[in-house]
Amino acid sequence: MVATIMTKKKAPFDPKSLKFLTAVSSVEYSKPTLKMGALIASVFDASHGVVYVGERASEFHGSSVNLTRQNLDNWNIIHPGLEVLEWALQELKKLSSDNEELAKIQFNSDHVYEEDGRVRVILPDDKGCRIELVLREGELVDQLRKEIQLEGYDLAIIGGSQNKRHLAHSILQYLPSSIFVLQKFNPRKKYKLLLLVDDSTATSKSIEWGALIAGKLGWPVRTLTVSKTKRFGAGYQGAADKAKAYFDSRGIEVEQFFLTGDPVRTFVEFAGDNHFVIMGASTLNPVKQFLFGSKPIKTLEQTDVPILIVR
Amino acid sequence: MHISADMLFWIQQKRWLLIALVIGAILYFFVPHPQSLGKDGYHILIIILMTLILILKEPIPLPAIALQLIFWQVIIGGSTPNEVGGYFMNDAVFFIMGSLMLAVAIVSQGLDKRLALGIIRLTGNKTWRIVAGFTAISAILSSFVGPHMVTAMMLPVALTLIRYTSNRGQSNTGLIAALLFSIAYGATIGSIGTPSGGGRNVIMMNYWAEFGSGSLSYIEWMKMVYPMVLIEIPITSFIILKTFPPELKVLDTAVRRLSVEVAHAGKMSWKESFSLVLFAAVLYGWIALSEVYGLGSIALMGIFLYLTFGLVSWKDLSRGVNWGVILLFGATISIGVQMKNTGGAAWLAEGSVNFLQILIPNIDTLRAVVSVALSGVLSNLLSSSATVAVVGPVVLNLGGDPILLGLASVISSAFGYFTAVAAPACTIIYSSGLVKAPDFLRAGWKMAIMSIISLALVGLVWWPLIR
Repeated sequence: MVATIMTKKKAPFDPKSLKFLTAVSSVEYSKPTLKMGALIASVFDASHGVVYVGERASEFHGSSVNLTRQNLDNWNIIHPGLEVLEWALQELKKLSSDNEELAKIQFNSDHVYEEDGRVRVILPDDKGCRIELVLREGELVDQLRKEIQLEGYDLAIIGGSQNKRHLAHSILQYLPSSIFVLQKFNPRKKYKLLLLVDDSTATSKSIEWGALIAGKLGWPVRTLTVSKTKRFGAGYQGAADKAKAYFDSRGIEVEQFFLTGDPVRTFVEFAGDNHFVIMGASTLNPVKQFLFGSKPIKTLEQTDVPILIVR
Repeated sequence: MHISADMLFWIQQKRWLLIALVIGAILYFFVPHPQSLGKDGYHILIIILMTLILILKEPIPLPAIALQLIFWQVIIGGSTPNEVGGYFMNDAVFFIMGSLMLAVAIVSQGLDKRLALGIIRLTGNKTWRIVAGFTAISAILSSFVGPHMVTAMMLPVALTLIRYTSNRGQSNTGLIAALLFSIAYGATIGSIGTPSGGGRNVIMMNYWAEFGSGSLSYIEWMKMVYPMVLIEIPITSFIILKTFPPELKVLDTAVRRLSVEVAHAGKMSWKESFSLVLFAAVLYGWIALSEVYGLGSIALMGIFLYLTFGLVSWKDLSRGVNWGVILLFGATISIGVQMKNTGGAAWLAEGSVNFLQILIPNIDTLRAVVSVALSGVLSNLLSSSATVAVVGPVVLNLGGDPILLGLASVISSAFGYFTAVAAPACTIIYSSGLVKAPDFLRAGWKMAIMSIISLALVGLVWWPLIR
């Protein structure tokens, strides 16, 4: 397949119209995820949603749990998920201390609105801040999928978890947005941005996103093209060249690598533990992905570095 | 055929529904019914198997599970629509409906602040006394009004104490777990004490009456089971304190601040007083009149009075009650009766006795073990009421004394200590986010052993003395 990167005329890339969603689970574990979510949203100047997905009680005892929650409200004890969202808002304020509009926003656990199977926190005076706080209960992938579909999010940012290997398949196959999984992310670490380039249609968008991130964060950029044989076809070569040209046109220096071998194993070995990987989503048909996996799914399963899969 | 990601996702989400249907279809179309069991009995067991899978994995909403139980009974179970409908509403379902409504009506009065004050006065500020007090109060109250109502009222008290406990930034995980488990396990062990302690108790009473197995009055039930509750209360407190040693021995600041907070509630209003009087009347009705009028009718009479005197609104009741659960209990009881009528229950009971007789030759012990094991294991996977609704007809067909075996089944269905799903009280404390699933295992196995020993003690020593 001939590379389609930037050959067709298309609408100009407008980062301001993007919507990003960060999934948080607890005050204890979600700080790096939230921090990176806020950073990436600011890089793209995107609006930022934060969603807490908690476990849903068995339907058998649902009414007992709801009754208890109503009673807890009378004692001013709020839902644990709302506590996490309140913390998330305070963290976002700290992370954007120069944002005066954001600083004005106050969290009030009474100002919540139940709609479409979720609880949305109403934030008065949130003019221009484009922050959304949402509480959901149920299975993680199902709830994230619903939230993404409801609000039209472009990117979902998820922390790496212990059951990542189990979740990787569902996350990549069923979430209808780009996905950023922050595995072992250390905010203090200096990462190199590693862009995996091939002739797939999603590569062009991942180059655009990579260039924006690298440009704003000043991270060194590497592109990696892996062929199963020693011969690199015109599609692969062309895609790598066009990626370099795109970065060059934005004054970003790029190191290019061409390696031969099994693509996933090569990606994983090359990424090591100091890269921030960006790759395009698979275009394989859903049944094949379900049965045999895909390059992004296998890469996510096997690597331990932050990985952004652009759809 | 092109399968989109949306379709694939739907299939993935509903896979247990599809698995249940495939298993059901294979058994229905390709596996002939056993010679010792009639066609209708076999089909009813297929429906029950499919339903157990659906309840366990919840791929579809609970009301949908109830609905499929109804139409399958008519389509393949050999029952007429009127037969299914006839068994659908009975005193047990009325009681479950009434007790869920009573919980909403009473919790909304704000009486928990009075309760908190009373408990603190009783226990003082020593942590072990608070844990023991929470266990005892939860157990005793739950034995009369059910664990869901007690936990809904007690949890805010515990969480307020936790909130007011300052430990200089150190973790209080032991204290938190001790307080929360004292409520959950206290309410769970108490729920067997009287017939009104839980829906499963009334379901079993309903089966006794339906199958002509005899009956127990409210007081007779208490005489037989309450000693076990009393034995378990101090041991439960001990287990909890040993499993989750609290970091603080005294909660003086927290208790003082809680007292100040609840003192703001002021004097009892007429509404609070009257709602207590009404509840006392319902309780009296259950104890003294339930043999004549049934527990369900009395609970509904109480709700009628709460609504009439404006103590609760219908809007609050309809919002606070999960009608799907009521629908499911109605449907489960109707299939339980069909299981008995078609011979499915007797076939299962006979099969399990024959199968296990090699291991346990004494028939009485075997019946008791089957009854306890079946209910105890299933209740950790399903809810305890659903367990009794499904297992009850089998247990009552084991032979032996149906009252004793039924009681053993009901009691052991309260041994759902291992998971957060088994008992409403456990689900409620789990939903606070302050205790984790492994915590239930840490304390649960000790609770299970203690409960089995207590049941054996009561069954072997106390019951022969009074029956």
